[in-house]
Amino acid sequence: MTISDADISRLARDLYSWSLRKVPDDTKAALERARDLETSDTARRTLNMMLASARAAEEQDRFVCSDSGVPVYFVRIGTRARWDSNIKSAIREGFETLVETIDPPILKHVTNPLTLERGYAGKDMPIVTFDLVEDADYIDITCSPKALGSGRWAAMELFTFPTLETIESYILDVAIKAGSQHCPPVVMGVGIGGTFDYCAKMAKEATLRPIGSTSDEPILAAMEERLRDAVNATGFGPMGTGGDTTVLAVHVNYAAGHGFTPVAVCFNCWINRRTRARIYSDGTVERVE
Amino acid sequence: MAELHHHTLPLCPEAAASLQLGDMVTLDGPIVVTAGIPTHQRILDCIRDGHNPPIGLDNAAFFHLGSYSKAGDDGFDVLYMNPTTSTRFNAMMPEIIRHFRLRCVGGKGGLDADCAKALGEVGGVYLSFLGGGAPLISGAIRRIRQVAWDDLIAHYRLVAMEVERLGPLTVAIDARGNSLYDSLAERAAARRAEILAKLASAREKAAGS
Repeated sequence: MTISDADISRLARDLYSWSLRKVPDDTKAALERARDLETSDTARRTLNMMLASARAAEEQDRFVCSDSGVPVYFVRIGTRARWDSNIKSAIREGFETLVETIDPPILKHVTNPLTLERGYAGKDMPIVTFDLVEDADYIDITCSPKALGSGRWAAMELFTFPTLETIESYILDVAIKAGSQHCPPVVMGVGIGGTFDYCAKMAKEATLRPIGSTSDEPILAAMEERLRDAVNATGFGPMGTGGDTTVLAVHVNYAAGHGFTPVAVCFNCWINRRTRARIYSDGTVERVE
Repeated sequence: MAELHHHTLPLCPEAAASLQLGDMVTLDGPIVVTAGIPTHQRILDCIRDGHNPPIGLDNAAFFHLGSYSKAGDDGFDVLYMNPTTSTRFNAMMPEIIRHFRLRCVGGKGGLDADCAKALGEVGGVYLSFLGGGAPLISGAIRRIRQVAWDDLIAHYRLVAMEVERLGPLTVAIDARGNSLYDSLAERAAARRAEILAKLASAREKAAGS
């Protein structure tokens, strides 16, 4: 058996639909921990409302947010997987089917940047990136629709032989600039090194890591912890109306590069939309989150 | 301690003035919503041309909420709604606030100092909605009164509706023009040096361990 167009298409549609209706379990747990530690009444009430909204969306099968974002998929193809599919077209078809069938319908957020016209389709949509997983017999797909609220505060700077101090100071300044705007508490993703394009990809992928996971690189594991505390010390708080919790986690990825070192920072808002599943060569789907 | 209030719209000047930063409020009554920059532009065009917009905004509660409105047999229905980032309307809001003497403005992410000043002049407040609160916020809709400018895409339309127990919403700019957003940004900027010093000492500790 092989993985077909229909398998990929169906999964692309389902991953998107799931992501709109369920806040990931690790994120709900992190919101609960934050709620228990908050010293501000307003912040505690806001975190409770977030948890109530997440619960209501699941119970009533409703969207958590009206901004269903633009479709973004990360596809990792196992080198042992067997497929007979135009994977990219199949994902586009999956999104088209979602638009036609999803209940309730989603709003038009796909925007032509040249004319500002909005619709459900556009050049290079959905945004799909591909990677390979050695020796795996599945295709692993993550869907993380990106909305305006947290998407617009991402930033990148290119340094030359920066110290960790320079890098961390920049990351803090990006967080301070985003301030109250990105529906905090957010997950912050950081990329350090590589090249311009690769660095942005690393930052984005860092937001997809489970909350509570730490970097395998000891220098980064320590950096993630101190940056989390640093950003929380800014005091913007839940929904940016003050409090102890501005980030749920800071995740940092890195890659070797030349002496010019890009540093990219991006955010996922508190609903932390991400769903992920694997489809095996026999067509079996395993939902990872 | 931040207080919880309940008010009926349109909010009277005294009720607006009584709201303190960080208080939370639930609302009953008529509201007007949109999430569109083109919609704000049309409102400004109305002001400049001396016309009334199709939905009255005098002393209104005007919120930056994106909604999915759908035409049915009995007029429009709204399937869900949720706040959008207000700051992208910063440049357009002071004139709208002053012209209509808006008593309540809201959305998420706040408005800038010029908007806060305009709110202070007319005695209006900015209320912060829960982003990602669609199930709770949509549950407050009781009746759709009017959907205007329906040539626009759904979330850009101007929608008038009745709500019940909308919120709780956080008072983030008060009727005197004090802004939680400005004070939090100032506080974060003031704390920056101390935060960087803590990062430096944590780095040294990590390097030595």
